[in-house]
Amino acid sequence: MVMADEEENGVSIQLEFPKGRVKKIMALDKDVKRVSSEALFLVSRSTELFLQFLAEKSAQVAIEKKRKTVNLEHIRVAVKRHQPTRDFLLDELPPPSQAAKPDKPTQPAGRPKLDPAPRGTRCIDQFFRKPEPENTAQAPGQPPENPAQAQSPENPDQDQAQSPVPVDES
Amino acid sequence: MEDSIGGSSSNDNNIIKEQDRLLPIANVGRLMKQILPQNAKISKEAKETMQECVSEFISFVTSEASEKCRKERRKTVNGDDICWALATLGFDDYAEPMRRKSRTKIQEASTNQNDLC
Repeated sequence: MVMADEEENGVSIQLEFPKGRVKKIMALDKDVKRVSSEALFLVSRSTELFLQFLAEKSAQVAIEKKRKTVNLEHIRVAVKRHQPTRDFLLDELPPPSQAAKPDKPTQPAGRPKLDPAPRGTRCIDQFFRKPEPENTAQAPGQPPENPAQAQSPENPDQDQAQSPVPVDES
Repeated sequence: MEDSIGGSSSNDNNIIKEQDRLLPIANVGRLMKQILPQNAKISKEAKETMQECVSEFISFVTSEASEKCRKERRKTVNGDDICWALATLGFDDYAEPMRRKSRTKIQEASTNQNDLC
């Protein structure tokens, strides 16, 4: 709603913001009891000027960063560059962590996903296993190629039964 | 003319509605579009942030002006208080044209009174 209000050099100045809403925002301050119509007009007008100033500076930042869309980060930079604005506004802006959307979704809480171990790596639970009986068919000079996989043929499930910690291979 | 501002809220438990705390987003967006280059766009997030910024600006200026009134034991915030607050807070470039406007208004009012007499 555009409101014609004051006259300057015979031309009426159009106020962009509704007076009622500006008055309500001013009334949020408990100390404010009465506001003259002139004060209300000046607050509305200065707010417009402030918005125009901040939009202009944000647009400059967007152009510097070769972006066509003005976003929150551009406003933040514009606020930081102007001392009076920074004094009251910087703390009111949402923190950058909330503003910047991460490219990859973060992992859900829980066990971290580990890379699979390279071939031939021994798991920690091997340390707790009973030593394997020596294979008689094996030549005496040659140790078994992979002791982790050397199972007795008569009881293939022996390893699983004796390992106290379940191994998460994934 | 003075506008009396009461502390009563529409809700019983004094909760302020979101739309009463912020200026209309359509007006904010329209003003921003006027300033930005023709091909530029504004993200929704930027509009909402700007909404918060201008509301904060109003509160900031009003707070400073009302503090001056409180110290001077006055109940009504007037144009000079707003101009003083703007200058104090570092927005001198807004305050000076405003002050000139206020002076012009006072002169016009006194001229009108003389004409009536």
